[in-house]
Amino acid sequence: MKFQFDSFQQMMEMAGHGPYVWTAVLVSLLVMGWLLVRPLQLHRANLKSIARQLRREQRRRGAGEEKQ
Amino acid sequence: MSNIGFTAYLKRDLLLSYRRLGEAASPLMFFLLVSILIPLGVSPDPERLAELAPGMMWVMALLATLLSTEGLFATDHQDGSLEQMLIAPQLLALPVLGKVTAHWLVTGLPLTMVSPLIGLMLSLPPVAMVPMMASLAVGTACLSLIGAVGAALTVSLRKGGLLLSILVIPLYIPVIIFGSAAVQTAVDGFNWLGPLAILAAMLCAAIALCPLAIAGALRLVSSN
Amino acid sequence: MASNRDWTWFYRLGSPRWFYETTGRWLPWLWTLTLLLLTTGLVWGLGYAPQDAKQGNSFRIIYLHVPVSFLALAGYYLMAIAGAIGLIWKMKLSYMVMKSAAPIGAALTFLALFTGAVWGKPTWGTYWVWDARITSMLILLFLYLGVLALQYAFHSQESGNKASAILALVGTVNIPIIYKSVDWWYTLHQPATIKLTSAPSMHIDMFQPLLMMIIALYCFYALALILFTRAEILQRERKAAWVCELALQADKVAAWEAEE
Repeated sequence: MKFQFDSFQQMMEMAGHGPYVWTAVLVSLLVMGWLLVRPLQLHRANLKSIARQLRREQRRRGAGEEKQ
Repeated sequence: MSNIGFTAYLKRDLLLSYRRLGEAASPLMFFLLVSILIPLGVSPDPERLAELAPGMMWVMALLATLLSTEGLFATDHQDGSLEQMLIAPQLLALPVLGKVTAHWLVTGLPLTMVSPLIGLMLSLPPVAMVPMMASLAVGTACLSLIGAVGAALTVSLRKGGLLLSILVIPLYIPVIIFGSAAVQTAVDGFNWLGPLAILAAMLCAAIALCPLAIAGALRLVSSN
Repeated sequence: MASNRDWTWFYRLGSPRWFYETTGRWLPWLWTLTLLLLTTGLVWGLGYAPQDAKQGNSFRIIYLHVPVSFLALAGYYLMAIAGAIGLIWKMKLSYMVMKSAAPIGAALTFLALFTGAVWGKPTWGTYWVWDARITSMLILLFLYLGVLALQYAFHSQESGNKASAILALVGTVNIPIIYKSVDWWYTLHQPATIKLTSAPSMHIDMFQPLLMMIIALYCFYALALILFTRAEILQRERKAAWVCELALQADKVAAWEAEE
């Protein structure tokens, strides 16, 4: 098994097919990256919003007790 | 008898569409009107029209059916009679099948009846007239059944129209392929009974399976 | 009674908490494995695999196109099966899996179409032909979009779940029919100049990286599905005590980090 290209330049060009191959690779990596990053964002956002809601409830409960 | 639900809902829906004739005729009007657009939009040349006619007529028939599918359960949902149907003791698939049959009698059958007229205007070769009618008769029944699944799924949504077409059009694809193929093979002078037989097989499968899916969808979606 | 008890393991399997905690333990391994396989497979396929005799280097797109198409199709069945389990056993978790599978499947189907189009240009001189497989893929994309749209159209989470599960099932029954009819349609209209038949037999040097990429995509799919499902679990179980505890813990950590 040997590397098929002599230089970086040659690898980018791929004998004229480079633009096609590299667009396919780039777009695939972007979409696949989004599929991994997006759920992590959602995960974090959900945790934050739950924590915020809990704190709000705690404060309200605390205020209610003081009044009594 | 166990088919009481079927005939009762068939009669009821036919009567309802008879009372609202304007609404019931709208798919037919759509079919006629769009067929005017084709010669104006493409070309009045008979040869080119004849080439397009089999596929175009099927596309128009499909869209016309789709147009009328949205209201299949919507009015019943609004006035509460759908709930009544759901709590009735009989098997839900039968009244559902009755409603869908009524829908086909009001949309698919008239489309089939006027299709020779449209075929004439689009210079469809005379040999293809009978295959066109036969494939439309069988095919629109499939379309009504499949469309009813989508209509049942979106019945409780206020703006179900666009969603319905997204859901249903991919499922329509086999029907339009074999429907227009039956006409096309007749135009080419081959035996068109093959595609028609496949269409009929699809109809059998749809009659067996779709009412169950529709009943399930109506029950699940309207249960909360 | 005994037969009832035998099923408890099944319901435990369906517990969101169990899923969340177990996959939490798997995740580091899965991340490593996926990234490792993906990088190795890509470098192997793009750099070391020999070029195709006829297609030259554009052939290298196969290393993305084929695995992605594989998973796009398999994903639909996974989604439909998850939906069916939800409908039959009323299992909350399987609805969450179904909902998570929809965007992943749609994205992968889009990728399959995109890489196919980009591959088509240098090889057959056109981005798009109405070939049987391409057309079926396009229909699959719309099937996915239908499930996604239906899921979000309902205000009530439960109605959305049930409706999209039914739609996914109807789609599953239809997929073989659609594929067969599109195949048949294509033989009827097949253009003479363009033939998209698959390569007769692949050289082993080309096949090995392809196999690796397929395995990598399976791992990637599992990873993405687990991540989406975990986010969905937090969303839907926000009232559960264990989720609240988790959120407070994460909050404390965040506050502590902010102070540092």
